[in-house]
Amino acid sequence: MPLRRGEDTASRSRPDGLPRLLPTGTTVPEGLREHLARHGFVPYRDGRLQLAADLRAAGLTGRGGASFPVYRKLEAVAGAGGRPFVVANGAESEPASSKDASLLWLAPHLVLDGIQLAAEAVGAREACLYVHETHGNQLAVAVQRALSERWPARIDRVPVRLAGAPPRFLSGQETAMVNLLNGGLALPTFAPPRVFERGVAGAPTLVQNVETLAHIALIARYGAGWFRQVGTQAEPGSMLSTINHANGSVRIIEAAVGTPLRSLLAADLGTDGTDGPAQAILAGGYHGTWIPAPRAAGLTLDNAGLCSAGASVGAGVLAALPASHCGLAETARVVRYLALESAGQCGPCLNGLPRIAAGLAALAGPRPDRRVRADIERWAGLVLGRGACNHPDGSVRFVRSALTVFAAELKHHERGVCSATARQPFLPLPSGTAVTDEDWS
Amino acid sequence: MNGMTASTAFWYASRATGVVSLLLLTAVMVLGILVNRQGRLPGLPRFAVTNLHRNLSLLAVVFLVIHIVTAVMDTFVSIPLVSAVIPFTSGYEGFWLGLGAISLDIMLALIATSLVRGRLNRKVWRAVHWLAYASWPIAFAHSIGSSTDLQHGPLLVLAVGCAVLIAGSLIWRIVAVTREVPRAQRVSTVMARSLVAGPRQPDGPGRRSAADPAATSRRPTAVSRSRGL
Repeated sequence: MPLRRGEDTASRSRPDGLPRLLPTGTTVPEGLREHLARHGFVPYRDGRLQLAADLRAAGLTGRGGASFPVYRKLEAVAGAGGRPFVVANGAESEPASSKDASLLWLAPHLVLDGIQLAAEAVGAREACLYVHETHGNQLAVAVQRALSERWPARIDRVPVRLAGAPPRFLSGQETAMVNLLNGGLALPTFAPPRVFERGVAGAPTLVQNVETLAHIALIARYGAGWFRQVGTQAEPGSMLSTINHANGSVRIIEAAVGTPLRSLLAADLGTDGTDGPAQAILAGGYHGTWIPAPRAAGLTLDNAGLCSAGASVGAGVLAALPASHCGLAETARVVRYLALESAGQCGPCLNGLPRIAAGLAALAGPRPDRRVRADIERWAGLVLGRGACNHPDGSVRFVRSALTVFAAELKHHERGVCSATARQPFLPLPSGTAVTDEDWS
Repeated sequence: MNGMTASTAFWYASRATGVVSLLLLTAVMVLGILVNRQGRLPGLPRFAVTNLHRNLSLLAVVFLVIHIVTAVMDTFVSIPLVSAVIPFTSGYEGFWLGLGAISLDIMLALIATSLVRGRLNRKVWRAVHWLAYASWPIAFAHSIGSSTDLQHGPLLVLAVGCAVLIAGSLIWRIVAVTREVPRAQRVSTVMARSLVAGPRQPDGPGRRSAADPAATSRRPTAVSRSRGL
């Protein structure tokens, strides 16, 4: 190996500007040699929780959607007693998101470094990387190749195994994932016990999104101050975002947290949201929130900015809906998918989401009964906060924002008119639903 | 039949509490089957059915304790206390009392595992709870075999009634299992029904004026696993 432990990373120039995570100008996975040349050896701290102080100073939060402070999770897992387990969650199930898959494909070693550092910080001796086995399993094969490069080079201190996630919307949900890793189906379970208390094989389990782990690998090398060079005071750093443009193209970008949506979606929003092709922006994916384009043009990509529109950053999904498509029809399609992806375990979700979906299908059609909207609102209230997981709540958030943002379109539909000119579906949805229990394993 | 005296009080108490225990255990069994299939009783929410099942089982234990203690204390026949838990150790009606002991042991295991259910592996609890299906028939055989009371007259009718009730519940349970919608198809089944029934179909010409009571009273009806949707 050209690079060994002890070669300090300080002499290597700190990467300034963005992107930090993704190597530029390439579409092939970064090999171990290039990775080490770019970032140097894994900066092990040789002790539990040595890294937590840095992560606290950096203000790193989880990039899987919940934005939970990473250092607090590390401390909870390390303090739970017993030998912890680490899971890197790369099972990005949001159909409109592909940032985790892109990161794992382009820079697998950054994520794998992060797994090692997180495992060291909580004192774990085993770790697991959980990824979808889609696209002919290409991603899993590439990650496995990266893993097999590292072990003989004695970079990894903790063995990492790969686990495949079934192609379900909920398979990346924390308790569903632990259930699967424990030999069950990828279905959410009731918490408590929370996975940081009792997770994989009953051990306290640290679950972190793969992008979060990649940030950990960089903060461990370049420090909290470097991490805070971009982003806002309250939400520092950068984040990966999947941008679904109004023209149908999809881009993965790494942006400083707090970047104006107007600059990320310049081609969609125009100068002020009224002169671009987009009529509305979906922030946070299919558990997220619709925002009217003029409103979105004044917002920034951080929770502080988006919360004024009732939205949150989530896993960084942005989708610009062109004015040529019907927002109600798109919402109805997505909610039908969300209803079919319910695990069918909790009554409110099992009974509520299909009815809400049917109601939305009626609203998307011509001359819906005026009472349907009131029915949907009532059912939404009955479903909210009553599931074992976040699925009903997230779905209801999405539905409620659609009823508000597309209220004018709803008036058109009541008169028997739809203002959309394009009939083909816009938002991406996977095909196939669960038919047998096998589809959750 | 002799009147009740001080010397026969224990004997009568034992026989009476035995009959009450049989009734309670029958009710516990039927409720247990109902709970297992997520069935409901009219006017009761589901959790109340579960609580009733649990509370009646604890009440049955109280009656069983009186049943056993009075039988042991009665001096007309000699039954050692250990015969209540160790089968086939009684000189009097050894076989039939032995069945009662086996049934009691199973019940104690069911209750003990249920009390620590939160700390127990769910599979272990379930496996033990399956023994309830053995416990009831053994207790029933003990009731019929060890006493002449249940072998004729109104009490025989009562005993046959209990047996018919249990048999009916078991048949209902088996039918419910065969009609159960597989987990993976539950949502799509509700979905298909919601889309067909609609929340409300768009009003066609002339429909709006027609008084349609179904349209106004339509409420989300709960999908019950037990009904097979």
